[in-house]
Amino acid sequence: MSLILCRQEPVKHPFYFEGLGIHLYSSQELCYVIFNNPLLVMEEFVDLHLIEFIRNELNMTFLALKLEKWQQSGEDPDELLCLILSECDYYNASEVNRFRQEVAAYRKMSQPEFGKARADYLFMKKQYGKAVADYERILEYMKSSKGHEEFLAKVYNNLGSSYARLFLTDKAYHAYVKSFELVSNKDVLSRIYYLSKWNPALEVKERFQTLLTEELKAEADLRMDNADEAAENAESLQVLEELFSKDPIKRLAGAGEIIQRWKMEYRNMV
Amino acid sequence: MDGLIIGLDLCDAYTRICCHDRDKSWNFPTVICRKKDDDVWYVGEEAYAYTLVGEGIIVDKLVKLVRKDGTATLCGTKYEGIDLLKIYLKKILEIPKEEFFCDEIKQLVVTLPKVDIKMMDALMYCADYLGIPREKVHIMSHTESFVYYVLSQKKEIWNNQVAVFDLSEDSFRYHELKVQRGLRQMTVVAEEEILEESFNLDILDTPSGEKLADKILNSCAERLLQKKLFSTIFLTGKGFERQNWAAESMKLLCSRRKVYVDQELFARGAAYKGMDYLQEKTSYPFICICEGRLHSTISMKVLHKERESQLIVASAGDNWYESRSSVDLILDNQDYVEFLVTPMDPKQKRLVKIPLEGFPKRPNKTTRVGISVGFLDEKTMAVVCRDKGFGELFPATDAMIRQEVML
Repeated sequence: MSLILCRQEPVKHPFYFEGLGIHLYSSQELCYVIFNNPLLVMEEFVDLHLIEFIRNELNMTFLALKLEKWQQSGEDPDELLCLILSECDYYNASEVNRFRQEVAAYRKMSQPEFGKARADYLFMKKQYGKAVADYERILEYMKSSKGHEEFLAKVYNNLGSSYARLFLTDKAYHAYVKSFELVSNKDVLSRIYYLSKWNPALEVKERFQTLLTEELKAEADLRMDNADEAAENAESLQVLEELFSKDPIKRLAGAGEIIQRWKMEYRNMV
Repeated sequence: MDGLIIGLDLCDAYTRICCHDRDKSWNFPTVICRKKDDDVWYVGEEAYAYTLVGEGIIVDKLVKLVRKDGTATLCGTKYEGIDLLKIYLKKILEIPKEEFFCDEIKQLVVTLPKVDIKMMDALMYCADYLGIPREKVHIMSHTESFVYYVLSQKKEIWNNQVAVFDLSEDSFRYHELKVQRGLRQMTVVAEEEILEESFNLDILDTPSGEKLADKILNSCAERLLQKKLFSTIFLTGKGFERQNWAAESMKLLCSRRKVYVDQELFARGAAYKGMDYLQEKTSYPFICICEGRLHSTISMKVLHKERESQLIVASAGDNWYESRSSVDLILDNQDYVEFLVTPMDPKQKRLVKIPLEGFPKRPNKTTRVGISVGFLDEKTMAVVCRDKGFGELFPATDAMIRQEVML
């Protein structure tokens, strides 16, 4: 238990971190983002732009210089990340070591596996647009390789889910179909059923109509009902209800903030 | 001369003005008078004169009037106490300016018998009106002025304890100081006592009254000076303008120490301090513990470069009115902030914990707390803790805790 003393960092121009679509205003935020999102910072994160931010905005000239020198001498890029973590006094040595091990574990993955892990992470962070691009890249990369049906089915399934979150039901449907064609999976079938419920205009192949048995449909309907019920009791909905019970001035201000947040979330999604 | 360094002793009964490096000083009653048929103001003896001939209306006890937010109606116009103080200060500060042909005030140090936030704010407000930048205006207690006055004298004056009896029209006060020589730094501890034995100075006009006053002073001196070693005793205030009424007391006061009568003591002390504000390196390298100064050091345990250290937010001896600090800290598995209060006697140090109730729950190390510390008086610290969030990752909320801590 302790209190960490913050450096005085009068940042005027924050650093835009594309991975999460946010601006960073301090060395602590920079470290937090690196430490908690290794998958998003392992590829060309430490670039000239970041070094300039460290030098001019965070006023950490020595660290900037060190990063430049290490980069020029062809130092392991992961070590550059560890250097940032060590120099900012936000994480202690054991935490930095933990990060180093985590990064090393990711480095042991094959390129498609790493790509999928990264895309899945982006999906989890609601960065659906970026996840789609990553999934597409994996599929492109594995276009000519054979014998990875199971892996590819998962990639197609996740691609479908990303499209679905972007409300692109047609593209989602085609991705699910590809996934099902590679490996027949009941869950993927259910997802096709959900899509058809959300978008009745969607043309579901006859083959799937027959595969969707009454039993499967009933099961899927039950899950949808449960999800609806959970949504009705969602915390965010309660916040909205609370907001609308306030006086008009507070309501308007609160609504403005929420809409702004939703806008930002949506922009990040796509 | 390139600017005046003014020591101003402001009391309800009198005002005394001294300028650093100048012998001339002024003393007049703290009264202001407005001419009946004109918006013309007079202060001090002149105010009395215009009132006596029926041409003006007088207001006295200006400090008290300001302290209680009082008003006075003069010639059908209602004036706030602070407005009258503004005019009064403007008028009296003209006097040294005219005398020394100098328009600029380099430092203005006001000394008051009792320092409180109300008077401090009022005086700063007056300074704004007078066009004197706030950083050039300082306010201190009589006790603190006494410290600077004494420490500006030869060392033999303050080798041992030093005391001052201040007998004025509205009070009888005793101040005492002791210099503690430490290994690293010298500390001056000064205290004040308002004597209950205060008496009206009119009794000094009769032989029997003089005798009674002598008796009172004698008994006070016996009680206050016993078993202590004093190098010097100072006498100040209107009551000591003449001392022939205090024959017995003088015998006691003058035994084994020097006794000085100095009517300018507080104003001079303020002017000395004013001069010191202009120095790059202080001429008074000591910690001063007295009224108007913090008696404890306040610190926080923080982590810096993986090491625990004490971050000092205010030091013993700091002027509480001028002592303010702000710091940003990140909570690491902790939902409170804690201050260590260390008085002069380190055995009495204690921890003050402020739980951050109402602060949002977030992942570890993602709550930045802005902590601002100020003082309401020398014994009350005001702490404000604000949730500053963690950038766009965890936006700040309006969670805030304000707490007063008795030191």
